Amino acid sequence: MNGHPQYADALALYALGALDNPRELAELETHLGTCGECRRELEALRADTALLALSAMGPKPPDRARQRLLSAIAAEPRMPKKAPQPYAVGRLRSRWFSFAPVTVMLMLAVFSILLGFQVRNANREIRALQAQNDRYRIESEESNKKLAEAKAIDDLMHAPDAWPLTLVAANTRPQPQMKVIYSKQQGSILLTASNTQALPQDKVYELWLLPADGSAPMPAGWFHPDRQGHGKMFHRMTAGINAKGFAVTIEPASGSQTPTPPIMFAPAG
Amino acid sequence: MRVSGTQAPDHKDDAALIDRMRAGDQSAMADLYDRYSGVVYGVALRVLANTTAAEDVVQEVFLQLWRNPGAFDAGRGRLAPWLAVIARNRAIDHLRKRAPEEDIDELPISTGVDLEDESARKLAVEKVRGVLTQLPQDQRKVLEMAFFEGMTHTEIAGKTGEPLGTVKTRIRTGLLALRKAFA
Repeated sequence: MNGHPQYADALALYALGALDNPRELAELETHLGTCGECRRELEALRADTALLALSAMGPKPPDRARQRLLSAIAAEPRMPKKAPQPYAVGRLRSRWFSFAPVTVMLMLAVFSILLGFQVRNANREIRALQAQNDRYRIESEESNKKLAEAKAIDDLMHAPDAWPLTLVAANTRPQPQMKVIYSKQQGSILLTASNTQALPQDKVYELWLLPADGSAPMPAGWFHPDRQGHGKMFHRMTAGINAKGFAVTIEPASGSQTPTPPIMFAPAG
Repeated sequence: MRVSGTQAPDHKDDAALIDRMRAGDQSAMADLYDRYSGVVYGVALRVLANTTAAEDVVQEVFLQLWRNPGAFDAGRGRLAPWLAVIARNRAIDHLRKRAPEEDIDELPISTGVDLEDESARKLAVEKVRGVLTQLPQDQRKVLEMAFFEGMTHTEIAGKTGEPLGTVKTRIRTGLLALRKAFA
C-alpha cells in the first residue's frame, strides 16, 4: 500500500463495509477499477478482518444444525454434468458456416463480459443505496423515538396538573431546593425548583453560570415560582462553556446582567 | 500473510474436499462443515447474540457454498477466512434486517494463514485474542464496532465522540496490527 496512501484508511473501512461517505465511496470504487495494487491491498485487508472473526470462535453449533444442513443438501443433489456430445460427422459445410458459430460465440462472450461488468457495477450501487437507506431508516427511527420521549417529558412538565414532589427522609421538613442539569456540549440548562420562597410579581429567581476560568458570572435564565414556591426553567446558551458551578439570586422581573447579592441558592457540598 | 510459495498440505486437503463437493459428494460437504462450522457459528453468534439466528446463518452460508461452490476461488485464498467474512456479512444483514443476497458474495481474500488444521486454528485464535488484548481499548472498541456490529465510521464517530479521521486511522492500524502478528 505504498503507492496510494491517500486511500489507505478508506480501503480499510471499505473492507469492513464501514465507508458510508458517498463521495469517498464512489471515488474509491472508481480507483479500485483501475488500480491492481489497491485491489490486492483490499484482499489483504479482508483477510485481516477474517482474523478478527477468529476472536469470536469457540462455541460449536448444536448437532441439529448439522443434521439440518445435511438434510437440505440431500434434498438438492448436484446434477452430474452432461458429458460433452461427440462431434457428429456430417456433410461438409462452407468455411464461412464453420466459423460462424465461433464468431457468434465470441461476440456473445464479449457481450456477456461487458454485461457482467455492468451488472456488477449496478449491484454494487444497489447495495450501497440499500445500505444508505437502512442507515437513514435506523437513524430516523432513533430520532423519532428520542423526539417522542422528549415530547412526553415536556408534556409532563407543562401539564396543568403536573405535581412536583420532593421526597425527603421521613419526619424531615421539606427544604427549599433547586436542581440543575447542565450540558456543556449542548449549552442547555434545565432547572427545577421546589419549596422555594414565594416572590412578589416584580421579582424572579435568576440562575448564574460561574465560568471555570474565573470570569464574571453569566446570566443563565430566570423564572418566577408559583405560589407554592415550585418552578421550572429550560435555558439555552452558547455551547462549550466550562462551568465550575451555578448560583441563584433574586432579581427584577426582567432579569439582570450582573447578580444582586445575596446568593439565595448555591451548589450543595 | 499473502499466499506465497509452497502451500501447506492441509490446504490441499481443503482443495480436495472442495473438488469432491463440486462433484456432488455430500460427505465432503459434511467434512467441510465439521471443519469450519465453529468459525461460521462463532462469528454469527457474536454478531447476533442469538443462537437460533446464528444457526440460520450457518445454514445459509454452507447451503450457498453447496449450491455455488465456484464462488470460492481456492487459487486466491483459503476457505476458513473466506467463510468467516461471508458469515460476518450475512450476520450483519440479519442484524440490519436486510434481505440477504441470493448468491454467495464474490470476495477475493488474500491470506496464507493456516486454519485447516484444528490445532492451527486454536493457535491462530489465541494469537488474535492476544493481539486484540494488546491494542489500546479505544482502538479495539472501534474495530469491534465496525466488524461485529456492522457500524459505519460515521456511526462509530457519532457514538464514541471521536473525530472521523481518528476512527478511520484506528480501524486501519488495528487491522494492520493483526496482519503483522501473522506475517
